[in-house]
Amino acid sequence: MTHNKMRRQVDFQIIARWVDEGDRVLDLGCGRGVLLEYLKQKKSVYGVGVDISFERILSCVKRGVPAYHGDVQALLATFGDNAFDRVIFSRSVELLDDPDAILAEGLRVGKRVTVGFVNHGFWLNRLNFLLKGQRTVNEVYPRQWYETLRSNPFSVSEFDAFCAARAINIENRVYLGGDWSDECKCLPNLFAGYAIYDLSI
Amino acid sequence: MNDSEAAPQASPEEGDVGFVEYQDFVSHEPFHFESGGTIPELTLRYETYGHLNAAKDNAILICHALSGNHHCAGVHSIDERKSGWWNFAVGPGKPFDTSRYFVICSNSLGGCSGSSGPYSINPETGERYRLDFPKLTVHDMVKAQSLLLDSLGVDRLHAVVGGSMGGMQTLQWAIDFPHRVGRYIAMACCARHNAQAIAFNDTGRQAIMRDPIWDNGNYDPDQPPGHGLAVARMMAHITYLSDAGMEAKFGRKRRTEDAGKEHFDVEFEVESYLRYQGQSFVGRFDANTYLYLTKALDRFDLHGPVSLDDTLSTVTAPGLVVGFTSDWLYPPQGNREVAEALLRLGKDATYAELSMDFGHDSFLVRSPELYDLIRTFLDR
Repeated sequence: MTHNKMRRQVDFQIIARWVDEGDRVLDLGCGRGVLLEYLKQKKSVYGVGVDISFERILSCVKRGVPAYHGDVQALLATFGDNAFDRVIFSRSVELLDDPDAILAEGLRVGKRVTVGFVNHGFWLNRLNFLLKGQRTVNEVYPRQWYETLRSNPFSVSEFDAFCAARAINIENRVYLGGDWSDECKCLPNLFAGYAIYDLSI
Repeated sequence: MNDSEAAPQASPEEGDVGFVEYQDFVSHEPFHFESGGTIPELTLRYETYGHLNAAKDNAILICHALSGNHHCAGVHSIDERKSGWWNFAVGPGKPFDTSRYFVICSNSLGGCSGSSGPYSINPETGERYRLDFPKLTVHDMVKAQSLLLDSLGVDRLHAVVGGSMGGMQTLQWAIDFPHRVGRYIAMACCARHNAQAIAFNDTGRQAIMRDPIWDNGNYDPDQPPGHGLAVARMMAHITYLSDAGMEAKFGRKRRTEDAGKEHFDVEFEVESYLRYQGQSFVGRFDANTYLYLTKALDRFDLHGPVSLDDTLSTVTAPGLVVGFTSDWLYPPQGNREVAEALLRLGKDATYAELSMDFGHDSFLVRSPELYDLIRTFLDR
């Protein structure tokens, strides 16, 4: 098992903790459907993935995961309130065009929302910028700025401030350290590499 | 979102189905139409490829588009210049792998390639039905196919597949016979025609009906209303292509630079192509049939009588809906709408969209992406 895969599994276990047996789950930015396949196996969910890449939709088909090829915002608009038990954004919020509106839509369509994100305030990122004046390029951010999609990284404290401003309830949250495996218990905005939030309104 | 995975495997060795023969399914029972009309007996012409296994669970029904027919793969004789209309996709090792699946394709009810329709002979009168043929719906077409399957001993299909009109039939199959459908693939389709699609169809019908030769449908089959039918086909054919596709294929290419020719003779390649398409259509398609089939499609409406969600609520099989970005006849939006309703209902449904320059006809083009998708979905 690669280090990457191990990290992904930890992430999955925490996400699965907040999912009930047989839940209806919508995974926005589902990639190749690995998380939904996991949730289907562990919690017998009815899961639907959404992604903008044909190749990734093809992988979902291979996994037997229902998937929708297209725009997250347009799809959300077609669902009624609380149509899903849970809407999941796993490392996809930073790629959204209008995160504020889409998270609000996610909270309308889902009874609960899971957001997993890389904490941009992690101390190494800060140190890199302070010392080198450059973005971090490592396992988490493997590519140079000119090789990546448009991305809008944010930190734990920025996300907390957003939830407070929009009166979003934080039901649960888990911070993982820089290795993305052990839980991070103190000063998460500085020491958490990855954060997973369970939200409601 | 950053997990990687190996690309899909290359397709195995492909082959052709070779020589094929059609067969006629004849039911001597009266066939009742949704409209209330009846015909005394029913004929569907069909072809099959591959073998039905002992468990009888490997059958795939392919539904053709408006101008297609039962001949979707192989050739009838050594003189046949073109193979069946989906020969790229049907055969040993192909997406519809005839070494594994028993593939069935029938000429639709109402069609003019040997099945009961306006062009067929009414056994009670010995004359062609012409406009006496009952009003036809997609539901009727599917019901007729279900009788064919009964006769073949196929209780449950591994899959139903179709594009365009075939896509609508496919959806109708999933709605009308949920217990007989293992899975379905509906491509370049919609829940109902939008105003633009109806407008194009009616303009085509008007071209036929305003051709004096049409004579209220009573034309001599050897002297059909060729001008009207050709124009209808030319116009419809444009709606099957895309702006970018036509530009790439024809642009402003001129056929000849002959200065001496008449002002309105064929000048551009695209004119030559469309005139040829129109003319060859007259030789293989019946004008009254064109009226019936286009009308059936215009009336197809999964939003009625209650709502799209209500209509689709009977579906149980996993479904794959495929839209094509360059399809402006049945645009992606109409395909998405079907998938979105299925997902609202908590069905196992997938929507995929392909970017190809071939417009509505994209599903007929040999495409590695589409074929990977079909193969994968049939396998799961």
